[in-house]
Amino acid sequence: MTTGRVLAPPVISESDFEKFAEFFHRKTGMHFEPNKRYFVDKRLVERIQATGAQDFRAWFVALRFEADGAELQQLVNVMTVNETYFFRESYQFDCMVNHMLNEVAARKRPGGRIRIWSIPSSTGEEPYSIAIYLLERWAKIEQYEVEILSSDIDTHVLEAAQRGIYSPRSVAQLPKPYLKKYFSPQGEGEWRISRELVESVEFSRVNLTDPADTRRFRDIDIVFCRNLLIYFDDLSRRVAAEAMFDAMAPGGFICLGHSESMSRMSSLFTLRRFPDALVYQRPL
Amino acid sequence: MNRILVIDDAATVRMYHRKILGDAGWHTDEASNGVEALERVHAQDDDTAFDLYVVDVNMPRMDGYSFVRELRRLPARHQAPVVMVSTEAKAPDASAAFDAGSNGYLVKPARPSGLVLTAALLLGDRPAALKAAAGVKP
Amino acid sequence: MALKKSTEGTGLRPVEDRDYTRGTDGLVAQLQDADITVRRWAARDLAAHPRAAEAVCARLAHESDVSVRAVLFSSAAQLGGGVVVNALLPLLRSEDAGLRNGAIEVLSGLPDAVAPHIDRLLHDADSDVRIFTVNLLGDLQHAQVPQWLAQVLLHEPAVNVVGAAIEVLAEVGTTASLPALRSAAQRFADDAYIGFSVDLAIARIATP
Repeated sequence: MTTGRVLAPPVISESDFEKFAEFFHRKTGMHFEPNKRYFVDKRLVERIQATGAQDFRAWFVALRFEADGAELQQLVNVMTVNETYFFRESYQFDCMVNHMLNEVAARKRPGGRIRIWSIPSSTGEEPYSIAIYLLERWAKIEQYEVEILSSDIDTHVLEAAQRGIYSPRSVAQLPKPYLKKYFSPQGEGEWRISRELVESVEFSRVNLTDPADTRRFRDIDIVFCRNLLIYFDDLSRRVAAEAMFDAMAPGGFICLGHSESMSRMSSLFTLRRFPDALVYQRPL
Repeated sequence: MNRILVIDDAATVRMYHRKILGDAGWHTDEASNGVEALERVHAQDDDTAFDLYVVDVNMPRMDGYSFVRELRRLPARHQAPVVMVSTEAKAPDASAAFDAGSNGYLVKPARPSGLVLTAALLLGDRPAALKAAAGVKP
Repeated sequence: MALKKSTEGTGLRPVEDRDYTRGTDGLVAQLQDADITVRRWAARDLAAHPRAAEAVCARLAHESDVSVRAVLFSSAAQLGGGVVVNALLPLLRSEDAGLRNGAIEVLSGLPDAVAPHIDRLLHDADSDVRIFTVNLLGDLQHAQVPQWLAQVLLHEPAVNVVGAAIEVLAEVGTTASLPALRSAAQRFADDAYIGFSVDLAIARIATP
């Protein structure tokens, strides 16, 4: 910059917002209503400035025509809230113990094996939440052998998941009796999950778009794949959805993040509406 | 208040149909393909259930006929008349429309009064039908 | 019963090992297997076998199972290139919406290989093929898209093809597209939808 003058930040007009909202909805299925202007505009300005574009129009053209999808990925990152904690989107776990597991169990012999796959595992909050729900809230847990598998592409988070140490923020949604029962305080407000729970989850490193990794998974009865596919490009999303279809048993269920939808990924799954949640099912 | 679900992959067409139907006094919602439409259907409860579906024949992911077939498999509370809208240059595929379980068929571009008249007849909305009919050019 | 303990302590291990060394020819043969799962797995593995591009695409017209079809399309998309484009273009004429839409989705991801065909497709005798080509342009990452669309707006006789083109221009159009938009509005002055969509596209493009 030779003039030393500070440029005014780019302005997002109403038709810019509408253009962005339509494009984003088309690509991801996510809706942004006009009441989200403040949230969206702020982030659009952030992306325009980060990419050095002159204005919204220039930034949008680059976004629409970029070959590698990198800016769209960045955009999805900033537009979505990206946090993991115990019992996040717990209505799906309610659905699991109230409905999905009962349907799955009805197709098994007594003592049969039920497989649940949580991907991405991230730092473990999701698979351990599933374990706690099964032990505390599924009436039939003693009648079946339940395997919890959990995978992530990032070995650092897998290691953290196996260490099992969590911040106060991460455990904030847990009912106090569960916190007391399954965790021990570590000082500085941190909590360590019990070794028993760590051992009840089978962790693995997996790249969902690599058939060499995913072919190892078969007969999965329930898949939790939440807030991951939204960050993939169109083709990778399809490939991943198809890989999970293959990994699932007929009649198996899959839960996506609350702002995600199969309508942008695949038509292979059937929609199932339960009182607690809308989930997808591999046809029987 | 009658509720109509408009299903089309083109955002402009959805906007256009929603404006026409909204101006006729009905509540509208939208979806951009058959899968998303089924999600909207399932997301309704008894008092927000749709009274009419206006669905484009040609959409990616799940086309109009597939959507209607899936819809007709659902419980009674989701059932409502279906108007199919098609750009097909060939003669309307009447047998496919019948087989799928649809109740009306319009060729695009649908004249506003034609769309409203068809909708009004299927919704049993006499005042709207009379108003629309007055607007239909001979 | 209850939660199964992970048997190898806290180590990471493969859940199940599957033996699957199969060459290209073996996999292509499996595309005809009676078992849907065998066909689908073969279709998936062939994504890594460039020599099989033609066989993967050729199987589409004969494959009745939707899950196998979906994977065949995904593999075609991953293989890419001129062979895939040539094999999928005929599907634009298919009566089967699933085949057509699957082909459009794959083609729209292969801009450089598809570009040489666009002009010819936009002049196809079948107006449905011209509409599908415009739909394809809607997702194509190619700098010439706005110009192809402008040509449609200036010269295309079928109102629905023009309508489809206006829709895409609302997103990718520039001020250079404005004359073509106005021309379309004039050519189809009687059509309420064309007028509506041209106004919308102009609002999206013009500087506030």
